[in-house]
Amino acid sequence: MQPAGRRDVVDLALQGGAAAAGEAASRSKALARLQFGDAAFRHLTRAAAFGVLVILGGVMVALVLGSLPALRQFGFGFLTSQRWNPVTENFGALAPIYGTLVTSAIAMLIAVPIGILIAVFLTELCPQWLRRPVGIAIELLAGIPSIIYGIWGLFIFAPFLQETVQPFLISVFGEVPVLSSLFAGPPYGIGMLTAGLILAIMVLPFITSISRDVFEAVPPVLKEAAYGVGCTTWEVVRHVVLPYTRVGVIGGVMLGLGRALGETMAVTFVIGNAHKVSASLLAPGTTISSAIANEFTEAVGDLYTSSLIALGLILFVITFIVLAAARYMLLRINRRIG
Amino acid sequence: MNLATATTTVPAVAHAPIDTAGLTERISIRGLNFYYGDHRALKDITLPLYASQVTAFIGPSGCGKSTLLRILNRMYDLYPNQRAEGHVTLDGEDILSPKQDVNLLRARIGMVFQKPTPFPMSIYENIAFGIRLYEKLSRHELDERVESALRRAALWDEVKDKLGANGLSLSGGQQQRLCIARTVAVRPEVILFDEPCSALDPISTAKIEELIDALKAEYTIVIVTHNMQQAARVSDFTAFMYLGELIEFDTTSKMFTAPGDRRTQDYITGRFG
Repeated sequence: MQPAGRRDVVDLALQGGAAAAGEAASRSKALARLQFGDAAFRHLTRAAAFGVLVILGGVMVALVLGSLPALRQFGFGFLTSQRWNPVTENFGALAPIYGTLVTSAIAMLIAVPIGILIAVFLTELCPQWLRRPVGIAIELLAGIPSIIYGIWGLFIFAPFLQETVQPFLISVFGEVPVLSSLFAGPPYGIGMLTAGLILAIMVLPFITSISRDVFEAVPPVLKEAAYGVGCTTWEVVRHVVLPYTRVGVIGGVMLGLGRALGETMAVTFVIGNAHKVSASLLAPGTTISSAIANEFTEAVGDLYTSSLIALGLILFVITFIVLAAARYMLLRINRRIG
Repeated sequence: MNLATATTTVPAVAHAPIDTAGLTERISIRGLNFYYGDHRALKDITLPLYASQVTAFIGPSGCGKSTLLRILNRMYDLYPNQRAEGHVTLDGEDILSPKQDVNLLRARIGMVFQKPTPFPMSIYENIAFGIRLYEKLSRHELDERVESALRRAALWDEVKDKLGANGLSLSGGQQQRLCIARTVAVRPEVILFDEPCSALDPISTAKIEELIDALKAEYTIVIVTHNMQQAARVSDFTAFMYLGELIEFDTTSKMFTAPGDRRTQDYITGRFG
């Protein structure tokens, strides 16, 4: 039995004159029907794709329009001033920007090495029976709603830090020249360090699971070749697995960073919400997203609302810059390899 | 297929007496069994591998030749549920012993894989990487070692002007020669080739066969191949395996002209496999 389509063609060739013409007509009708379906599908997918662009553009336009009054009032000083006074309606975004960058930096500093270490352990060293439980635990960590991290951070983690870790840090680094200013002041419990630590826990699963996935995608034969010249596991990871997966790992890190920059709820609980730029990591601060979440209900004046929207615009720009930097980095790495 | 009857009528391993005068047995395999979980993939293999000779493992897919090769450098250790029983010695030293340092063993027994596997680094680094693991050399000495390894692999003239380029930018045949150079650079005693030409064009294949011929003076070489002509061209001894058993082992000239076992003859002449 030949495939149906083939037989049609053969029949078509064999039949002469009128019969062939009739069949051709019915075939072209069927084709026209298909063509309609094709066109509909094409427009549907294109509409979906353009929908994303429209939404993105709409958000951008709304943010810019909404923040115009604040930007017109304060100008460039909005970025450099740390004043935030709702009563006199004098606003500056420096403290939230600073808090956002510092907490995210702390989070990445802790989560990136730990996440990569966990992924290396899971793919290269972990005994088979332990792989699944640890892997599932990490995915569950990613599934915990951020509000839970928030209350846990406020009621359990922050007091713990206040009683043990922070006094320890103060006493150890109190005399060291640069670090003493990083760990100065009373141990409040809540503050930028606490927020950074909570963020680290929150982004850890992203970095871990993406790193694990890309590590697993390394061709076994490449690893065997490295073991074949006498490498230890460490050498294989350092010289073969990590260079091979660099692009993917950076992607995971950027995804984590994106989450850390925008995370709102958990940070709002533990950062202390003070519009203040202080060198000490133990001091309370604020981030862009937590400032917006905290204050949008009480923002009565137009300038106040506009300032909050301007904060949103700044966060949008920061996230965009991070993504663009990641893209650029990947592009450069690819070009060097290719 | 008339294998079922053949198995009952012909003795399991037809070891013809081999003139071993002047040959040194570098690797001895005695009563080796190998298991993937419960599946017994190799059955009572006993086989000598001679120094400065090329030994080819031939046999249909799944007969266990690659498995046997991967036992020699303990590559199976990387995977769970795989174990070997029996005796395999390299110069009298037990390879299978748990006390064996596998990293050192793998430096002594180099391996070239079916697909070229350049590391994600420059051509120079691909070679220097393995050397640095075990030796501390000055920049000058290292340069010399890299050059001599690349010359050995007949690749030097093609890459000498672009040692800094990524190893992955080479053609398939060049990549495979790079892998051979990398293996040679570590100065192993034995080199295992696991179907080294199966992904290569005829010209690259010829180059690699010449290379194997040139290398055999200094190394003990084992090659797994699906290509009968290749086995006949490059090897001095041939082992034919079938369904996890060693059917026949003899000099290549004897194996390809007057095999002692019907199954060997059937396979070599292309009647099955």
